[in-house]
Amino acid sequence: MREKWRAFAAAWKLALRIAGLSFRAELEYRANFVTNVIFGIAWQSATIVFATVILSSFPGMGGWSSHQVLLIVGMRTLSHGLYALIFDRNYLLEMLVQDGRLETFLLRPMRVYRQIQLAVFPTSAIGDLLVGVSIFTWAVSVSGLHWTPARIAYLASGVIGGMLMEAAMATTLASLLLRYPATMAWNAWIEDLAGTFGNYPLNIFPSPITSALTFVLPLAFIAYFPAAVLTRHTGGLNVPAAVAVAAPLICLGAYVGTRLLWNARLRRYTGVTG
Amino acid sequence: MSGLTAARGWRTARITPLSDLLSPGRITGRAIRLAVQVFLVVFLWRALYANVDIKAGLTEVMAVTYAVLAVLMVDTRAFARFGARDTVIQHMQSGTIVYWFLRPLAPQHYYFWRGVGEQAYGIAWAGAGCVACAVAGVLGPPASAGAAAAFGGTFLVGQSLLYYLALLTDLMCFWAIRNNSVVAILAFTQNLLSGAYAALWYFPEWFRFVSQLLPFQYTIGIPLSFYVGRIPVADFPAQLAAAAGWVAALAILSRVLWYKAVKLLAAQGG
Amino acid sequence: MIPAMDSGARPAVIDARGLVKVFRTARRATGLLGTIRSLVVPEMVAKTAVDGVSFSAGHGELLALLGPNGAGKSTTIKMLTGIITPTAGEAVVAGVVPYRQRERNARNVGAVFGQRTQLWWDLPARDSFRILRDIYGVSPADHDARLREFDGLLELSSFWDTRVRHLSLGQRVRCDLAAALLHDPPVVFLDEPTIGMDVVVKEQVRILLRHQVEQRGRTVLLTTHDMTEVERLAERVVLINHGRIVMDGTLPEIRARFGSAWRVHATIDMRSVAAGLEPCPPGLVLTDRNGATAVFGPDMANPDGVAGLRGTAALTPHQALKLIIDRYEVTGIRVEESDLDQVMRSAYTEGMTSVPVNGGW
Repeated sequence: MREKWRAFAAAWKLALRIAGLSFRAELEYRANFVTNVIFGIAWQSATIVFATVILSSFPGMGGWSSHQVLLIVGMRTLSHGLYALIFDRNYLLEMLVQDGRLETFLLRPMRVYRQIQLAVFPTSAIGDLLVGVSIFTWAVSVSGLHWTPARIAYLASGVIGGMLMEAAMATTLASLLLRYPATMAWNAWIEDLAGTFGNYPLNIFPSPITSALTFVLPLAFIAYFPAAVLTRHTGGLNVPAAVAVAAPLICLGAYVGTRLLWNARLRRYTGVTG
Repeated sequence: MSGLTAARGWRTARITPLSDLLSPGRITGRAIRLAVQVFLVVFLWRALYANVDIKAGLTEVMAVTYAVLAVLMVDTRAFARFGARDTVIQHMQSGTIVYWFLRPLAPQHYYFWRGVGEQAYGIAWAGAGCVACAVAGVLGPPASAGAAAAFGGTFLVGQSLLYYLALLTDLMCFWAIRNNSVVAILAFTQNLLSGAYAALWYFPEWFRFVSQLLPFQYTIGIPLSFYVGRIPVADFPAQLAAAAGWVAALAILSRVLWYKAVKLLAAQGG
Repeated sequence: MIPAMDSGARPAVIDARGLVKVFRTARRATGLLGTIRSLVVPEMVAKTAVDGVSFSAGHGELLALLGPNGAGKSTTIKMLTGIITPTAGEAVVAGVVPYRQRERNARNVGAVFGQRTQLWWDLPARDSFRILRDIYGVSPADHDARLREFDGLLELSSFWDTRVRHLSLGQRVRCDLAAALLHDPPVVFLDEPTIGMDVVVKEQVRILLRHQVEQRGRTVLLTTHDMTEVERLAERVVLINHGRIVMDGTLPEIRARFGSAWRVHATIDMRSVAAGLEPCPPGLVLTDRNGATAVFGPDMANPDGVAGLRGTAALTPHQALKLIIDRYEVTGIRVEESDLDQVMRSAYTEGMTSVPVNGGW
């Protein structure tokens, strides 16, 4: 048991060291670094506009007050920022598969998934994260909720869960990408969808759509359900309250499940035909 | 002879639409994307206006119509050509820009035909989208016949303006911009200031003041405001003149910059 | 303006006279203060890429431009194609000054720049050809005839309906070659066209180029690092190093000047050489002995032989052959030419000392 713990800690230390090196390498090109960060911020412009300009002008939507909607936005954007920093590498995977470089990853004594995560430091994710942290902090401060330790813990788990659910979706796509390179087109589209729909209380949409976004593309679990629990909106949901409360756990389960799927598909990886 | 007559320029103009037709799934992909965006936007604005009659001078019907049209009109030019590796910045980065200077067609004219073709294609998409949305009942008619005319006039001038704005961004790639991120940042800023993400009427006073000093609002914001009746038809001549003034200024600026870009390339070799 | 004459005493098609190109780049400063200063008053550093290059090429001539990386080959070609304006000197290509009359020049010139394609990525190659046909104003009949010809030589029809994005490097370069020749230009510039291609495709390209030069009389200027290509294709070679011409001559001349690694393997009837093989004929030295086979090489310490004047290069293999056959009873003989790579290396390192053997200003 001790051995396993030591190995685990060593693997994490290595991962952090690699990430640190990549980060410092990116920092060398200062102008590039800054523009990439700004790019990350700019990419969120639609979200920023919605959160700052639109929401504050209107009394709310779908039975949620503006401040409560802002909580959804804040949680989702922060989750996304963390996801972008740690997981968002499918575009890289596509190149690795096409160039045949994935095979070198298979020969190294580190999990391929982690190698892909560490292969590059995503500077623009810093921009995403800055936006996420800002909106999240603002949302929490104006939410009008009383922050007990339990609530804070749940909030944190909701954010982490959101990150894991986005990662789960990406990992599913990555598993498909190993075999079908055309999947890449869907990747961008799904990220788009998550960004567009994920910021709003899903009950503003007709119920078929809400169901689709809960059971087919599980966006609801990213920020909507945890925020609903925190703001006591569990009554109007399309799932029992217990499911909503368990959202972070469900996200974790989804992530673990898709990692297993990835492992299975990686074992069957045949590579690009010459 | 340096330009191409239309009879012979059409092949250059149709490169983007042809590329889309030949790449399987691109057209369906784009259609689905647009449909999803329109769908979202319709429900979003309806939900926002559920307990409010009018905000920033726009009623629910006006807001929804504006938002739907904005989605259909947002410029996807840059991103289409990026995938095809035919943007100026990609040519600069890969060195294939040399071929633009080895043909008996001045680079300016080649660019013109490419741009015109792409914009016409974009307008065709927007038109088809409008028809689909009208049939689906999410796109209302123009506020009045006068409003429709005002929309038409400012729309056409706005498209010329859009052409020159894209051209100037591309020209900057000869000097300062070697970075894809910067190009994307410029694209987002322009979208923001043109009222593509949200009508400028909702923004605070200082923001509207700044955008009035810039040309971007004439590409999307002003034409759409005429359409939904937010701006009275009487304002049409003044707005049209302002937009046309910007087109003229940018046309002159781009001519100068093209000349300088060619000279720079002759000195540095790319 | 008196047109220069080429080796055949006809007006030269490509005529470079004293081309000089100096690049001025801003020096990158370090530190915050330096960066600000360099934004306002940048410190310019001058780099001379080409320092007085002169040569000419005529109708139906294939000229190879060689030199190590950074020697100034690409810059020279860019000046000749009109992409860059020279700092000093002049270039005339097919009667046009390329950087002054760009569009007129464009009609006379076809170019392929290594791995950079001019084809449209998302369209089939055939569509790219059609676009270029429109741009150059080629008649449909001519266009079709030329495409048929290129198809015959390069087998384009098997992949010209595939989008360029999906073509292999060899297929793409073949299409780029066809694209460069579609408007029937009298002059063709090729900047490392066959880099990274497999042997079969390289051979196809060579056959095409030979055909274009011999049957169509085009003037081709080719830069390459592939010595086999030089051997098979080039009648004339111009060596550039440090922005200057080191040598301008035919391949045999270059070999004679720089090639000292040839060997002649002679199988000698030992019964005829009672006294042994020594002394060797003048100018030769025995480098190896393997039973009845003797290996001779040039005597670098004492190159004066029957053939040369004092101070010139070593004997050529063919001169050595004659001497050996005259001297010994030879039952088998084989010549091993200097490795061209080695020749080039000697030529490059020779540096500034250059006495052009042929032409030049």
